[in-house]
Amino acid sequence: MDKIQLIDTLPDVFVNRDDIVSDIWKQKVELERGKLYLVEANSGTGKSSLCSYIYGYRHDYQGQILFDGEDISRYTVKQWTDIRKKHFALLWQELRMFPELTALENVQIKNKLTGFQKKKQILEWFDMLGITDKLDAKLGRMSFGQQQRVALIRALCQPFDFLLVDEPISHLDDANAEIMGRIMTEEAKKQGAGIIATSIGKHIDLKYERVFNL
Amino acid sequence: MKLVWKLLRQHISIPQFVGFFFANLVGVVIILLGVQFYNDYQALDKEDSFMKADYLIVNKKISALSGLTGKTNVFTKGDVEELGEEDFVERIGAFTPSSFNVRARFDVQGFVKFSTEMFFESVPDAFVDVQSDAWNYQEGNDEIPIILPKNYLDLYNFGYAQGKGLPKLSEGILGAMKLGIEIAGNGHSDSYTGRIVGFSSRLNTILVPEAFMQWANRQYASTDAVKEPTRLILEVNNPTDEHITTYLQDHDYETDEDKLDASKTTYVLRIIVSIVMVIGLVISALSFYILMLSVFLLVQKNSTKLENLLLIGYSPAKVSFPYQALTIGLNVLVLILAVVILLIVRNVYLGLFESFFPDYEAPSVIPALLVGLVLLVVVSAFNVVAVKNKVMSIWKRKE
Repeated sequence: MDKIQLIDTLPDVFVNRDDIVSDIWKQKVELERGKLYLVEANSGTGKSSLCSYIYGYRHDYQGQILFDGEDISRYTVKQWTDIRKKHFALLWQELRMFPELTALENVQIKNKLTGFQKKKQILEWFDMLGITDKLDAKLGRMSFGQQQRVALIRALCQPFDFLLVDEPISHLDDANAEIMGRIMTEEAKKQGAGIIATSIGKHIDLKYERVFNL
Repeated sequence: MKLVWKLLRQHISIPQFVGFFFANLVGVVIILLGVQFYNDYQALDKEDSFMKADYLIVNKKISALSGLTGKTNVFTKGDVEELGEEDFVERIGAFTPSSFNVRARFDVQGFVKFSTEMFFESVPDAFVDVQSDAWNYQEGNDEIPIILPKNYLDLYNFGYAQGKGLPKLSEGILGAMKLGIEIAGNGHSDSYTGRIVGFSSRLNTILVPEAFMQWANRQYASTDAVKEPTRLILEVNNPTDEHITTYLQDHDYETDEDKLDASKTTYVLRIIVSIVMVIGLVISALSFYILMLSVFLLVQKNSTKLENLLLIGYSPAKVSFPYQALTIGLNVLVLILAVVILLIVRNVYLGLFESFFPDYEAPSVIPALLVGLVLLVVVSAFNVVAVKNKVMSIWKRKE
């Protein structure tokens, strides 16, 4: 997948509002593989909705979203499963992790599905993010900031053309945010993939191709 | 998959599944036992396996007067049609008597010799429950299959042989022997060999295949022979129907009450077995319902986990699999245990059967096993589809 296009896209809930000023809603937007984008938003402007639409989780919008020119509203279950496994990695704002499993198991449950990363690499990331001591800790017992780091590692355990990170550093200190940014960009570079990051204030310092105001 | 299972087994309620397990076990055992017991009981009636229990043989009463009034005891075409239109009659067939002379010779290892005049009758082949290869006749063949009344054997064994100090004969020995048969009439006279296919206690006649009878009547009968039947064979849908008795009385017809009673017993047994099996089915259906409810509850309780698995790239099929495997595993376990219980219970009552009827040969358990397998496949298919649908509704965010 090389290109994501949004054409006149608008969440259904905004349809009756005529005060929408946005770089994304009701616009023609093109996101290309290999480039970095930042979507800045205020609360309530539909940032999480945007992520859900692009990821095929929700469909309550008007207009079109196209992957390589194909309208994603016509995607089948099989196509979505394939995209989520091989083309599109997402770090959810609400993480969507499994508190019953340990940190390592949370990562493995994804990596066993894709078989993409070596265990050595995963352990290295845990080490870089300073949570090696939490490998076998139940995720539910970890702080949100720690969980965020595990979630990033999980998101990287798959081949992807785009990496979408929804407020990835909301609960991280600057040092960890910087490490996270480095890991993300390195991995994206390795795969020739694009990154779409969102933020409501605090964002990772990267060389963004374009910054959108939602 | 191990990790997925570790996740999805959360919230499994052991008591619910144990409840399902035993409820379903009871249901399946009842169903299998019903099928098996009915088959085993039917086998008790084996000596008449070639005449089904629902058949009645009807003839007109012969009274002292009928000879004088000139009333014959043959059934006219009108009689047969009228009877055939009655609601209790499923099928009707006529006995065709032989219109030629038959003489049978009987030779047992050189020291018992019989020779007697006799007669043949035939009924449509559909009423004779023998494998078709044993019960057919082709023109030119000189071997004729025969079914004899059981009374004949009893008469010989307990009357004739007893009095003369001759050896008693079992059905098996007689079945292996041949009868010499001579048929004469219409200027022809030929020899045939009779092969005894079996003995019937329900049928008081010497039965040959209809194909033989038709051919032989054409070949040997004089033209003025009586063509109308004196006895009819009926298949009735319900032997306990009192209309049968009243109809027969009203028309001065006769049937053997004992045989009607035997038919009634079998019929009532069949109804009881059916009721018991329906109860088993209801219990099974209810337990299936419990299983579905607990699986749905489980899916509901784990819906966030299921959704998250779907969102990190697990396909609905992969996510459904653990619950489908769980239900199929339970169903298989129930079937295995049910079959074990069936065999144990059967052993007990077969012991009883054998003590009453030493010749009893137990039929196979394969029909019951097949019923169990069919149940397993149907119920499991339902489970698999239901779980998949439930997961798909999570995918579509309808929950």
